[in-house]
Amino acid sequence: MIRVIVGAILAPIFIVGLGLIGLAAGGSRSLDAYLVLSGILFAIGMFGFLARRNAISMLMSIELMLNAVNLAIVAFGSFIPKLGAGGSVIALLVMAVAAAEATVGLAIVIAIFRNRKTPLVDEYDAMRQ
Amino acid sequence: MAIPSTIPILGLPWDDVLFVILAGTMLLAGLLVVTMRDIIRCGLAMMVCFGALAGIYVMAGAPLVAGAQVLVYIGAISVLVLFAIMLTQTKVGPTRLVFQTQAVPAAIAAVILVVVLVLTIGATQWGGTGERGETITADLARVLFADWVLPFEIVGVLLLAAVIGGVFLAKRDRPASTDDVE
Repeated sequence: MIRVIVGAILAPIFIVGLGLIGLAAGGSRSLDAYLVLSGILFAIGMFGFLARRNAISMLMSIELMLNAVNLAIVAFGSFIPKLGAGGSVIALLVMAVAAAEATVGLAIVIAIFRNRKTPLVDEYDAMRQ
Repeated sequence: MAIPSTIPILGLPWDDVLFVILAGTMLLAGLLVVTMRDIIRCGLAMMVCFGALAGIYVMAGAPLVAGAQVLVYIGAISVLVLFAIMLTQTKVGPTRLVFQTQAVPAAIAAVILVVVLVLTIGATQWGGTGERGETITADLARVLFADWVLPFEIVGVLLLAAVIGGVFLAKRDRPASTDDVE
């Protein structure tokens, strides 16, 4: 109960605090703000991919990174008139490829899990022995 | 009664406030995805992160991408990830160690990446007009089905191949052939 209350108080503070990063980079009317957000999200995803032990966590981190790249593409497409609708088209294609990647990646994780009985990547050490 | 164009007391425009809320939600949920202990909660935080990102797409003037984000990421990929999590839960529950031993170098590398990216973004002139455009969905459809129709078809074939490959990989072997599986 106490954790829920503390979380409910802290979450809006963190949300506004993190969102001020975007405002500091120029607000919703500047390309820089979107690119900075995208860079931060990409770094979060990279940290998760390098640091987590669970294979599915690593796949989720890859999804975060793909979304960060998509955000950058959409921002470029919207702020640079020469690109026209091309930015949105590329973002849609990236989304489809990400869906394919998630399908195959999760299938591989499930197949390995059936073999090794663990989702933790640091116990997949059969090639090391 | 008309809504004032800026927030009464603070004097900020509404879309900046919305941008702050969406960006903060996205970053907080992203941080929770990579740091929380219980992986089911990580998956749910990922859905929140994708939802906030869909809002940011709307603010960036790409409503169709936002709709596809909701359909593909929140509707399909997150559910797929949640199913995979439930299929790979071990009986002992969440593991005690969430991070590998390389977590600290990974955090340092991530911070360095953020700093380098922010400096680069700040130092570069991107050559736009500085105006936020709106992608009209009819234009998008015209471009997608005229100039980009070959990549579109290739992506369709790729999705088919991925579905078949996923089914083949995750399919349980028949009992007769389990002996020669190592």
